[in-house]
Amino acid sequence: MAGYVVRRLLALIPVLLFVSFVTFGLVRLAPGDPVTIVLGGRKVDPATAQALREQFGLTGDPITQYVAWLGRALNGDLGESYRLRQDVLDLIADRLPITLELIAISMVLAIGIAIPLGIAQARRRDSAIDYVGSLLALVGLSIPVYFAAMVGVLVFAVWLGWLPAFGSGEDPIDRLVHLLLPAGALALGTIALTSRMTRSSMLEVLSSDYIEAARAKGLPERTILVKHAFRNALIPVLTVTSLQVGFLIVGSVLVETTMGLGGIGSLITDAIQNRDYPVIQASVLLLTVAFALLNLVTDVLYAVIDPRIRYGR
Amino acid sequence: MTADSAAIRAFRPGLIQRVLRSPLGRNRAALVGLAILLPLLMMAFLPGVLAGDPNAQDLSASLRPAGVDHLLGTDKLGRDVWSRIVYGAAPTLLGALVVIAISGLIGIPLGLVAGYFGGLVDALIMRVLDALLAFPALLLAILVVATFGGGLLTVVIALGVIYVPAMARLVRSVTLVHARLAYVDACRALGYTDARIIFRHILPNLVAAVVVQSTIDLAYAILDIAALSFLGLGQQPPDPDWGSMLADARSYLLQNAWPAISSGVAIMLAVVSVNLVGDGLRAQLDPRERER
Repeated sequence: MAGYVVRRLLALIPVLLFVSFVTFGLVRLAPGDPVTIVLGGRKVDPATAQALREQFGLTGDPITQYVAWLGRALNGDLGESYRLRQDVLDLIADRLPITLELIAISMVLAIGIAIPLGIAQARRRDSAIDYVGSLLALVGLSIPVYFAAMVGVLVFAVWLGWLPAFGSGEDPIDRLVHLLLPAGALALGTIALTSRMTRSSMLEVLSSDYIEAARAKGLPERTILVKHAFRNALIPVLTVTSLQVGFLIVGSVLVETTMGLGGIGSLITDAIQNRDYPVIQASVLLLTVAFALLNLVTDVLYAVIDPRIRYGR
Repeated sequence: MTADSAAIRAFRPGLIQRVLRSPLGRNRAALVGLAILLPLLMMAFLPGVLAGDPNAQDLSASLRPAGVDHLLGTDKLGRDVWSRIVYGAAPTLLGALVVIAISGLIGIPLGLVAGYFGGLVDALIMRVLDALLAFPALLLAILVVATFGGGLLTVVIALGVIYVPAMARLVRSVTLVHARLAYVDACRALGYTDARIIFRHILPNLVAAVVVQSTIDLAYAILDIAALSFLGLGQQPPDPDWGSMLADARSYLLQNAWPAISSGVAIMLAVVSVNLVGDGLRAQLDPRERER
């Protein structure tokens, strides 16, 4: 097991190098002199401009710049924001909790709703709940998260007045209440895919011989569903749910922008508007690393659930 | 409309019945999908027939609700929302089609070559493509488009390239199977060139898989284009586009929800219809699905 994890971690290194190179390279390809963005239209003499270039690591050939940037990044120095003149890592650390909470709440909502829904659908195939669930899945897959958030505001904040429409709240409870609406909007797509997968995976398992045997033994339906069927139906469900993490990361960018939440997502969109490249670069890099690590964690989880996978690769 | 369909029936008796009895016609969900998709495609190709100038402003008629004069109301600048929805179809729908075309044009040959030759070529191609998959797709698109400046063209090219790995992987996996089949050995024995075997003999066998994958990707491409445009990176103002209309409508959502609801529902309908048609195609083309 430990060997498997180590091998996977080693395989991650070239991928992360590639990711950092692409992120760095793209930003350097941007047209225009970065110094003009730092200055924001103010005119300065060439010596000051040169000093700024040095301060932001913009001197020398691109490869040297990349190596220097990578070295600093590995030491936790991701540069300084062009616009806010603040350490990028501090900016991100300030904003990260909201994004993480948003993603965590929507993951809990998604799994808490989708898995029971999928099991119920599989158990009563072609019943009303099966059709309603399938319809819900189709809508969940097709609705853009930001539109879902807006509809949520109209319905739950304006018409019903149950939830706040905007902002991220003060104390922890208030925060949770504020995040419920955006997290719900974000969860819809995951609910859709996870419930679909749970349904089809459960249907397949429920039609197998060993379930028939369990029924013949006279085991209670509940035990069959939860202990015998669901365990085996879990792997494809886990795959789909883990793939959703990327979707949730990107979705949180969109939802935060829509709902005025001060997380990483709105940090990125603000940075795009201001061409604040160090911020864009660092945020995209961190989110991608998080995405890669989460994928690794799911792969390891598979290996825990299904030992065959460890020996397969 | 009824006169038209009557004319069609008189001209070609039994056409509708024939369509309904065909395998795709018996798939109710796919038919519903087509019924939504076709009007949307008409908006994309012939907007002038369905609506007036989408950029005509009338500040005295700002933020009107839906009514007789304005089918879906007006936005803040008094522009007709229906016209903007109709003209906004092209950037999203045709843009998404171009995204799929780009990913296919690059991804299919790469997948064919990787799957057919295997070995070092395969390893090289797939390592690079897998590395591309390390990025969450839309995040990479945001980065690329933010770097090279917003606009529909950048968005479509960036998404097209980002969609390559999914297509290439699929084509590779199917090619791997076919490259080991007897008919390919037979072709080799006949002395055919690799290029001829790949493109004339293996490629036709991939059509079903590629079509199914394309419809899945098409639905995602519509959502991604809309999302980038929602972030202000796609179609630039004043030209209409569903995503940017939604972003604009957000600021006056509480005064007039019509523009927001209209553009959001337009995106949803497009994605739902593509998904329904895709499910229908998959049911027809994928032998595994047919058995169920």
